Amino acid sequence: MITSDSLPPSIGDRTRKFIKRHDVRMSFLYGSFFTLLFIFLGLSFYPKFMPKIMSEQMQNGKEVIVYFTVISAPIAGLVLGIALYTFLNRHKGDTPPPDGPAIRTNTPVILVWTVVSSLFCLVAIVWGLVEMNVASSEAAENEPNAIVVEVTGSQWVWNFNYPEYGFSTDKLNLPIDRPVVFRITSVDVNHSFWPVQLGVKVDANRYAVTTARTTPNVLGVIDIKCAELCGLYHAYMESEGEIMTAANFNSWVKAEGGHTA
Amino acid sequence: MTTFANKTQTAPKPGRSLITKLNMGTGLVVGIVSAEVMYWLSKSWFDINEAAEINKILTLSMFAWCIGFLVGIGAFIGPFRWLIGKDLTAEEHLYMAGEGQGISRYFKYCTDHKVVGIQYLVGVMTMLGVGGAMAMMIRTNLIQPGSRLVTPEIYNSLVGLHGITMIIALIVVSTGPFGNFILPIMIGARDMAFPRLNALSWWLLFTAIITLCSAWFFGGIPTGWTAYAPLSVQAGPGMNAFIVAIIIFAISSAIAGANITTTVVTMRAKGMNLTRIPIFVIGATISVAMAIPAFPTFMASQIMAAFDRTIGTGFYDANVGGSGWLYAHLFWIMGHPEVYVILIPGVAVLLEIAPVFVRKPLFSVNSAILGFAGIAGLSFLVWAHHMYISGWSPSLNGPFMVTTEMISIPTGLIFLVLLGTLWRGKPWLKLPMLGVYAFIWNFLIGGVTGIYLSDVPADDYLHGSMFVTAHFHYTLMGAALTGAIAGLAFWFPKMTGRMLHERAGYISFWMVQIGFNLIFLGMFAAGSQGQPRRVADYAQTFATSDLISTIGAYLTGTGMLVLLWAVIHSWRNGKIAPTNPWGSKTLEWTVPYPIPLENFHETPVVTSDGYGYGRSN
Amino acid sequence: MPSAVKGSSKVLLSATLSVLLGIGVVVGVGYTLNGASDDGRDPVVATMAGNIDTPKGNMPHATATLSVYADAESSEGAHGPDGGGHPGYVTYGPSNHLILPANSLITITIKGYDGGESLNTPFFGKVIGTVDGSMDVDGKKVTLLGMKEVQHTFTIHGVPTSTQDPLFVNIPLSKQPDDAMEKFDEDGTLPTPVVTTFSFYTGGAGEYVWNCEFPCGDGTYAKFGAAMSKYGYMSGKVSVVDHI
Repeated sequence: MITSDSLPPSIGDRTRKFIKRHDVRMSFLYGSFFTLLFIFLGLSFYPKFMPKIMSEQMQNGKEVIVYFTVISAPIAGLVLGIALYTFLNRHKGDTPPPDGPAIRTNTPVILVWTVVSSLFCLVAIVWGLVEMNVASSEAAENEPNAIVVEVTGSQWVWNFNYPEYGFSTDKLNLPIDRPVVFRITSVDVNHSFWPVQLGVKVDANRYAVTTARTTPNVLGVIDIKCAELCGLYHAYMESEGEIMTAANFNSWVKAEGGHTA
Repeated sequence: MTTFANKTQTAPKPGRSLITKLNMGTGLVVGIVSAEVMYWLSKSWFDINEAAEINKILTLSMFAWCIGFLVGIGAFIGPFRWLIGKDLTAEEHLYMAGEGQGISRYFKYCTDHKVVGIQYLVGVMTMLGVGGAMAMMIRTNLIQPGSRLVTPEIYNSLVGLHGITMIIALIVVSTGPFGNFILPIMIGARDMAFPRLNALSWWLLFTAIITLCSAWFFGGIPTGWTAYAPLSVQAGPGMNAFIVAIIIFAISSAIAGANITTTVVTMRAKGMNLTRIPIFVIGATISVAMAIPAFPTFMASQIMAAFDRTIGTGFYDANVGGSGWLYAHLFWIMGHPEVYVILIPGVAVLLEIAPVFVRKPLFSVNSAILGFAGIAGLSFLVWAHHMYISGWSPSLNGPFMVTTEMISIPTGLIFLVLLGTLWRGKPWLKLPMLGVYAFIWNFLIGGVTGIYLSDVPADDYLHGSMFVTAHFHYTLMGAALTGAIAGLAFWFPKMTGRMLHERAGYISFWMVQIGFNLIFLGMFAAGSQGQPRRVADYAQTFATSDLISTIGAYLTGTGMLVLLWAVIHSWRNGKIAPTNPWGSKTLEWTVPYPIPLENFHETPVVTSDGYGYGRSN
Repeated sequence: MPSAVKGSSKVLLSATLSVLLGIGVVVGVGYTLNGASDDGRDPVVATMAGNIDTPKGNMPHATATLSVYADAESSEGAHGPDGGGHPGYVTYGPSNHLILPANSLITITIKGYDGGESLNTPFFGKVIGTVDGSMDVDGKKVTLLGMKEVQHTFTIHGVPTSTQDPLFVNIPLSKQPDDAMEKFDEDGTLPTPVVTTFSFYTGGAGEYVWNCEFPCGDGTYAKFGAAMSKYGYMSGKVSVVDHI
């Protein structure tokens, strides 16, 4: 008869033994703490600090940050949990500690780790590609009734031309819920057109026109900044704008000397 | 090497050779005189009141300084003597190695790899000090809205000079001091493969740094370290210093890269086959090997910028058929491998440290090597993620997003190696080991925020904001510089013969790490709120986040001063170190201090890798 | 063990002093840079001129005068950290810092002594942000200048914040005739200035900047280098304060 002692322990036994180990339990505990901490930070930190979300693009950008934080929280928790346990379980004294177990490698662990991190990477890639595609197809559908704004960056002031209404101004006011196409260029060095609350950004290059599309969907003030160092007054290359109702927008157009259709 | 043996009888004794009379002093004199002469000459050719002409005058003068300095310090004596058929004698070779010359050999064109390592160390620490002081100025100006300390013009110069000084310092921070001093001993070599090129790489770097510093006197570098064209074409005469410094630096790093790579490939001790090479050696080699293809594009970008500025070509001027995008491409084809050139040796230092202090073998060395190799390979395919929003080709954002996010896989392997090494260990938390923990925390944050930025919709919002600044400081400073400081604490006993002052080291460590996290967590908040980077002034909205960053900066700065004191104090009066204070098993710990000229009295024979710690299960 | 204690306190002292020395050096650098940021010119403080009735109601009225010269060295507005301006640089004077009262009507007079070539964009030929969208040029009411009629612009803008009212003013300055500039180049005779006067309202207190939008930093890319990128020549700040 073969006794159970001489058999290699079954996977179930090994797992039970493994999870009863003190270092495993404590690492798991610390890891859970960090996981929860990162999930909490992901769900509260960015939403708290990001400005008012006034378009689909801005919403997408925020979601990427929030959900990526949440998805990566368990991995970060695992890393920090193990690190914190060993940190607290340190060797004290002025001589080197006794040798630990000579673990040179562990094929299953390496395989699982690689597969999990590849899956995480795949999720990130697919998420990003899908969002990009949705954004660009939405923009294409919305284009016919879009309002076109020609944005010109010059050192160190933005100006906005509304060809449909025939005027140009220093303020970027837009009607709500109407798609907008920004055609951006520069008369000198590179700038980067950033209407902060709308979540889009594109560089202004000399003798080239770049395009950005969005649909503002919330009323309120927007800040327009320059996000590419453009010389002396880069910091002051900021303008204001407002997302307004269609009626208010029309009266603003008239006040600026434009002709409404 | 073969010719001088025949000529020993007729050649002059080193006592009468020109080599013995040249040092840094003569280099400075000849360099400055050359620059002055070139300035005076070119001023008579070109009109100093025209912008493009000033650029010609200064560019020529700066190159004259670099060449003059190298002539003055004797860099070209060897090649020249070879040219006229009177090669250096054995005595002269020995003299150039600096044997028995005490402290003065550190100011000479010295071929001993240990001297070059110390030269790099002191040079890098000086650069970090200067760059750090500029960081303090930047943070002080941003302490509250209003830009009250300096004008926007000086602020922009501070940002540019802080950036490029720190980038150059970090590129060489591990591979310079440790790659030159420690690496040859680690692989059991008697010196580097090309000792004279080794000296040349350091002194070229020295001339480049001096050139860069001269920018202050010509109006600064108002373009940030990226020096984007066309802004750099428009910038004032200080920009010439940047261009010349980068060209010289690219030559220096190519020479250093070829030298270290050749040394590791050809000069390993008997028995050190590929699987027995210490991980730091592998990391440093991959890093410098990456620099070899990467930096020439940087050099090319600056040569074109110099042409645009001096003789009116239009490489970057869309008006005459050029393109600013061309610059961005050339720059980032260098720029993205370059951040890993910085990161990998710093991480490799920490992977070298971890097994020693945990007393366990490095977990899965193959994963570490694969991780480094994967990062190095992918890093050449991701450059355009810096250009998602530049508009050059929105349809390529997808492919570049894929390659960029794939970097998270090899990076994950590095974490696995560290965790596997820590697992079931009882670490000895000496200063070097603390660096491993700081790295895990900092690089985790740097890595995860990097994934946000690699995603196009998030990058649309975050690009060009303080969020990006915080992200890359977490990777470059939080990971690579932390690794280098840990390496300094680790190898200090071998490099100076003394132990680093422990308590000061701990105090500095905690001040720097807490301060660092304050600065850049504050900056993540400011970036999320919408503060662009490189701004001299900002809206009231960001005031709290920026104030936190500035407080953190003062804490970090003071902590760095404590470290500086610890290094200087310990170097002079520190406790005498035993040969192997940490009980490490790699070769560099077998040599006594002071390390003999050719390192080993008997060439070592290697029979296993350096990580044979641990009891078998 | 008194000697050990003594030794360790000596080490502590040396460490503290070294760190303080380091901090001192950094503070010294900051002090130097701060000094270099001050060009030594007194700011232009607006002169109060009683109260005035405006379409926005009765409010304080203040005036200020600036000039813009073709050559910082030869003009009467010579300036700079070391007294004299950079030769060949255009410049505003007598200072680049303007202090204005809050919630007031401001009338600024700018005397222009320079010629011009062409704006980079027609946008800055428009008068923007003044009381009735116009300015007064040598007694004539003007709302728009062509791209080639401008010598410089005076453009006020700033960082919009929740605590600071927006302020955007753009004034193109009509250029000197070419023959007047030729005479100036020959013998340094300042031409008769083109006098531009304009009025605008200030909101609450705040910090703004102004700069010239005319590409007048000759010789470099888009002509925005040199004098344009050198702080204090064609750029400056506007402080709107509650009490002058």
